[in-house]
Amino acid sequence: MSITLDQVTKRYQGAPVVNDVSLEIGDGEFFVLLGPSGSGKSTLLRAIAGLTGVDHGRIALHGRDVTHTAARERGVGLVFQNYALFRHMTVADNIEFALRVRRVKRAERVQRRKELLRLVALEGMDERLPAQLSGGQQQRVAVARALAHKPEVLLLDEPFGALDAKIREELRRTIRQVQRELGITTVLVTHDQEEAFALADRIGVMNLGRLLEVGRPDELYKRPATRFVATFLGAANLLLARQSKDGIHFGNHAVNARAVEGSVSGREHEVVAVLRPEEIELAPTREALTSSYLAAGTVEELVFTGALERLRVRLTNGSAEVQLAKSNGDGEYLEVTRTQHEQRAFEVQRGQHVAIGVRRIHVLPTPLSSFTACAASDAEVEHLSRQPLLVELAARMKTRVATRVEPALANGSRDCSSRSGKFVGAAVVAAQPDSLKDIECLLARGAEEVFVLPPNAPPPQRVLIHWADEAAKSATLAVSASLLRHLSAEAIYVDVMPQGTAESQRPHGMRALLDARSEAQAVHGLEMRTELRVGNVSTELVRQLGESVDPLLILGISQINGLAHRFADLLASTPRWPMLIVYREPEVQA
Amino acid sequence: MNAAVETRSAPRALRQPSVLPGFGLTFGFTTFFLSAIVLLPLAALVLMSLRLSWSEFWEVILDPRAVGSYRLSFGASLLAAGINLVFGFIIAWTLVRYEFPGKRIIDALIDMPFALPTAVSGIALTTVFAQNGWIGQYLEPFGIKVAYTWIGVTVALTLIGMPFMVRTVQPALAEVQKDLEDAAETLGAGRFHIFRRIILPTVLPAMLTGFALAFARAVGEYGSVIFISGNLPMKTEITPLLIVIKLEEFDYRGAAALGTVMLFISFIMLLAINLLQAWGRRRHTRTGR
Amino acid sequence: MMASRATQIFVDEHATRPGRDTLTTAFVRAFFIGVSLLFLAALLFAPLATVFTMALEKGYEAYLASFSDPDTGAAIRLTLLTAAVVVPINTVFGLAAAWAIAKFEFRGKSFLITLIDLPLAVSPVISGLVYVLLFGLQGWFGLWLQEHDISIVFALPGIILATMFVTFPYVARELIPLMQQLGNDEEEAAITLGAGAWMTFFRVTLPKVRWGLVYGVILCNARAMGEFGAVSVVSGHIRGVTNTMPLHIEILYNEYNFVGAFAVASLLTLLAVLTLVVKSLVERTGYKGH
Repeated sequence: MSITLDQVTKRYQGAPVVNDVSLEIGDGEFFVLLGPSGSGKSTLLRAIAGLTGVDHGRIALHGRDVTHTAARERGVGLVFQNYALFRHMTVADNIEFALRVRRVKRAERVQRRKELLRLVALEGMDERLPAQLSGGQQQRVAVARALAHKPEVLLLDEPFGALDAKIREELRRTIRQVQRELGITTVLVTHDQEEAFALADRIGVMNLGRLLEVGRPDELYKRPATRFVATFLGAANLLLARQSKDGIHFGNHAVNARAVEGSVSGREHEVVAVLRPEEIELAPTREALTSSYLAAGTVEELVFTGALERLRVRLTNGSAEVQLAKSNGDGEYLEVTRTQHEQRAFEVQRGQHVAIGVRRIHVLPTPLSSFTACAASDAEVEHLSRQPLLVELAARMKTRVATRVEPALANGSRDCSSRSGKFVGAAVVAAQPDSLKDIECLLARGAEEVFVLPPNAPPPQRVLIHWADEAAKSATLAVSASLLRHLSAEAIYVDVMPQGTAESQRPHGMRALLDARSEAQAVHGLEMRTELRVGNVSTELVRQLGESVDPLLILGISQINGLAHRFADLLASTPRWPMLIVYREPEVQA
Repeated sequence: MNAAVETRSAPRALRQPSVLPGFGLTFGFTTFFLSAIVLLPLAALVLMSLRLSWSEFWEVILDPRAVGSYRLSFGASLLAAGINLVFGFIIAWTLVRYEFPGKRIIDALIDMPFALPTAVSGIALTTVFAQNGWIGQYLEPFGIKVAYTWIGVTVALTLIGMPFMVRTVQPALAEVQKDLEDAAETLGAGRFHIFRRIILPTVLPAMLTGFALAFARAVGEYGSVIFISGNLPMKTEITPLLIVIKLEEFDYRGAAALGTVMLFISFIMLLAINLLQAWGRRRHTRTGR
Repeated sequence: MMASRATQIFVDEHATRPGRDTLTTAFVRAFFIGVSLLFLAALLFAPLATVFTMALEKGYEAYLASFSDPDTGAAIRLTLLTAAVVVPINTVFGLAAAWAIAKFEFRGKSFLITLIDLPLAVSPVISGLVYVLLFGLQGWFGLWLQEHDISIVFALPGIILATMFVTFPYVARELIPLMQQLGNDEEEAAITLGAGAWMTFFRVTLPKVRWGLVYGVILCNARAMGEFGAVSVVSGHIRGVTNTMPLHIEILYNEYNFVGAFAVASLLTLLAVLTLVVKSLVERTGYKGH
């Protein structure tokens, strides 16, 4: 492996900007780190270059641990967004800088410089000053300079950011060519997905300091695992659906799509379906569709963009069984793109009624699809659904907050015996002295996740994860992973061994801890740290929460009965911290 | 830049057309007031010195006492500007690169010599560096006399030149793109190498400009020097003081001749500073925009 | 706020950079800060402190008593009067010059800017000298003035003229770069919306540059009240009549009346401190936009 990152974490003033990133990049690979600004991608690149230290984790280059090695001894070449050429030096002096530093003989320097200038197609520019070159030429010099000392790794930090579209494309080609010719391991940072597709052997998508997904460009586009990647790499319509053994349902209406990929759990549950705009078909009638019928709609907006036509199709009210994961304010509409060919086959106008079909649906394996605010009265539900943290979370997860008046939550009239059947997403309740009763009630009525929200809770900086029953383990990990992708918080798995555990049992506990960590990483792509404590579970959790700044607790259970007893310290009084309780019935052996 | 380019494209127009009003009024007032308050009196100075014949003029300005005053004025000013070149850079570096308690206050106080009346800094410096002063008493045992010697003159001129140096170097230093240092480091350069090869050449124009500004200011300085200099002819008498003495003796023409010399030097310094700043701007022009 | 956070990250990153020898880093840092502080302490802080210790050397009563000296009172009044005349005139000039230079493109603009800066490059003694040569007894207009019994040199008008010369550029220098940086867009918008010249100036331009103007005026005022060299040449040093505060300091100092000299000096020092405070406040409003 050329570059190995192991749980790299970097904080600024306490907040993680690079959050537990592990990654391996192979020899000669062109790897693109893609993410929006502030996602930590540049910081990660600077950490690889040695321009910033890391607070946690390990960095190795070609098997050599360089975590504590100075930048100048790492043997990397770095290209900056604003070129960072030395303005008082000629092109020749700039390129030879690294060689001069290494006291390379003149003849050799000149030869190397000529070689590099030819490589970046700037022969004869040796004696120019940077100010006499165009932006594209300057960046070529910067690339040549970064390669002069034959680095083992080439790092590029948004190298095309300051250039025009045309020159950008030209330079892109040059860099790809140089990279192939030299076979040098290359990491490029960008926020431009088109650039990433054009250059990358593999792409790593970062958001909020986390490396969310890594894969080949086409793989990531076709089969994203997260909502963020689905919407960041190209456009996507996100729809809420239910998945059962026999397919995908939008409301009562089943869609028989050719390729439906997703989580395989047998039980019926809510999922998020990704519909790429180009996978949507329009036809005058349902019968004329060549693909699976989805809904009826009206063309609301129609923009010609050259090769493609972009449309906005509003879903007809009657077909409300199709529900967007995030409604677009003034209604439910789908983004559609059509090729010239499709346009010729069926011309549409604004206001025209059409039948909407879908050729391909990708289902995201997301256990936390939406939120439902629950309270006893309209006013309370309304108030709860406006809680800043909830609004923020829903916005980040590109999902909606549904509301549900639950008379059973009213004081004194707790009739929790009947199962209400359809609980979608996580139920949200306000923290109050009786929260325990609310939790019990909602779980009894069929909710699988209950989110307890104290008023005006800040966005969490640290998420503590714990499952009290082994049966809830994988569900808890899945929910945690789903939530953490949208938070710039550090994840810590807390395991508590009962007081008086024999010394000999400790290694066993450690092993369980490490197993949990590797399962989280392997199955859910969730990096987390671990903490082993000894004592009463509830007491230790409360202590850990108390020691953290803005924490959130994810607690997995598989028994409703006895919550009051098992989590006395945590749930007896009004919960002080946001808590997400994940409940899964133990699997009944058939 | 813009102005030059546009003027070239329309060589005959005095000014570019604009929808904004008030050019005639403000331009007229500006030039009139400038002429009345500054240019006319300065012309009077030069004309007055022309009342002397060439030989008389040379005699006045090459008089040994005058030459002695030049030696002190220019020598001490050069030395003071040189001291500021070193310490001004250190102060600017400290203010740009480090965080420490009280930094904001110290940063604000850098301008003090600029805002403080020269007479005040003059008597205060003299008191501090006198034989029994706070600092003077510790220098006395080493046989170093500051007050009433050329050293005192240099100290006063260093103080008044300091803000010019710091304030010129500070922004230049802050603007040395951190990227440049990072680039040099990834290319294998050590810290000293980065400093000598990257930082110094980049701030050099600013340092020279600061040097010229501090020097120009020091040559003409009067108030803060006359208290600490002792004013012995040929020894600790600066040129501006000699002008005042000539005036007090009602030797207007002599004063005018010396004044013309100083004015001429001011013009040369002004020219040098403008050239240095233009050079610095050219080097600092952000490329690739 | 942004700036301080940026430097914080900058410093943070430098401190935690791998391969940095922390001891050397700390030593270099201590060396730079130490040298800076020592240099400033000897040259700046000690003299500033001296002003107040000397002024209060014989106690508060002696300090306060020194202001009841009629000559001191006259000096303070003369200084205030001079500033009251000079500062408004130079403010109007500064606004006019800034408008002409920042809002229009014309030939010889940079030459005009250089001329406006000229008084800064000229020795203060010369600033006084030129008026003596113009209006003094042997000057160009000396005889004519004497015949008409008008005194300029060694009288209030001379003091005002010399002060005006010296403080001439300050307001303009603050305003020109600021107005150039802020551009003409808003003024042009106001004109196209039908605003007249004065309305545009008072409602659009002036509010935009007010902080720069405040600092320019306060600096001009400080220099006007503190000018020594130029005024010294034209004043004639007539006690109680043509002595401004800085000149009065010189006289008291030369008479070994240190408490009196430093008492007056302490007033001017406080004025300088006030000027710097205003400058810091103005910079904190971020009008320079960096």
